[in-house]
Amino acid sequence: MEGALNIWLVILAVGALNYLSRLSFIAAFGRCSMPAWLARPLKFVPAAMLAALVLPMIVAVPSPDAIVWANPKALAAIAAAVVAFHTRSALKTLAVGMLTLWLVQWLLRVAG
Amino acid sequence: MLPACVGLIPFGLVCGVGAAAAGVDFPGALGMSAIIFSGAAQILVVQLYADGAPVAVIVLTCFVAGLRFLMYSAAMAPYFRPLPARWQNGLAFLLTDQAFAVSVRRFSATHDPRGGALHFLGGGGALWLMWQLTNAIGFLAGNVIPASWSLEFAVPLCFIALVAPVLRDVPAIVSAVTAGGSVLALAALPMQLNLIVAGVIGIVAGTLTDLARERWKAH
Repeated sequence: MEGALNIWLVILAVGALNYLSRLSFIAAFGRCSMPAWLARPLKFVPAAMLAALVLPMIVAVPSPDAIVWANPKALAAIAAAVVAFHTRSALKTLAVGMLTLWLVQWLLRVAG
Repeated sequence: MLPACVGLIPFGLVCGVGAAAAGVDFPGALGMSAIIFSGAAQILVVQLYADGAPVAVIVLTCFVAGLRFLMYSAAMAPYFRPLPARWQNGLAFLLTDQAFAVSVRRFSATHDPRGGALHFLGGGGALWLMWQLTNAIGFLAGNVIPASWSLEFAVPLCFIALVAPVLRDVPAIVSAVTAGGSVLALAALPMQLNLIVAGVIGIVAGTLTDLARERWKAH
């Protein structure tokens, strides 16, 4: 019960903050536009936060001293990043990333 | 919006699977997809919830990750400006990473705000519906999908699709590299606080690089 209560608290709080962030400048435009001191750091939120989210998902981190860089997911992620950079297409990125992962996993199984 | 909808399918499935695996019940999973309506935030909530992180840590981490919406909001504001406030309030809810990526190009190409808004409403609404459907299917059918498919890899791929195209200048690359390096170096921090700390380090590094570059250019 406590767990269920907590998850709804999280849902409502995160949902409200997300919505207010989305609405912020759409609602405030006309009265104020984005000040330069805020615009500059905000420019880097996607690059920084998404990189921080992605890295632990693609390199195996058994412990901070033993990060495994060479693994199928890291290879597939690099292939996907190249495609994303050049095509800006989410679909092609997904397709190339998944296919590369399956191919490398299959090669490892055949070779091993 | 159609390619964005299709691209969202594996991401939504994985969010549903993740919610089930973390021990969230079905109403909770539906609440997350319907109200939070952000894959990145939902993945964070599920990971942190499974780790037993306090509510405040989960909310704070999601808030920092959600700061990008401020930027999207500022970028879309001029296009939404001619619309009535009611429309603005409603459309803002549909402002996701994918809707933004598609619409910002479409709006800047058209000079018809009402047409652009209708396109945004239709596309954003379709994305929302697709999101509910795939999250629910993922929650209910998660265990049916074989683990050997590595479907969970769709999550970093969706983020890569969003982040790689913005890495077009030195400050953005510095920002991503320092954030990525920090998150691994700080992996020992409890409650995945490394995410938020690394994010802030990356944002500061990008900002400082940008300022330094501007100063250097001015000379």
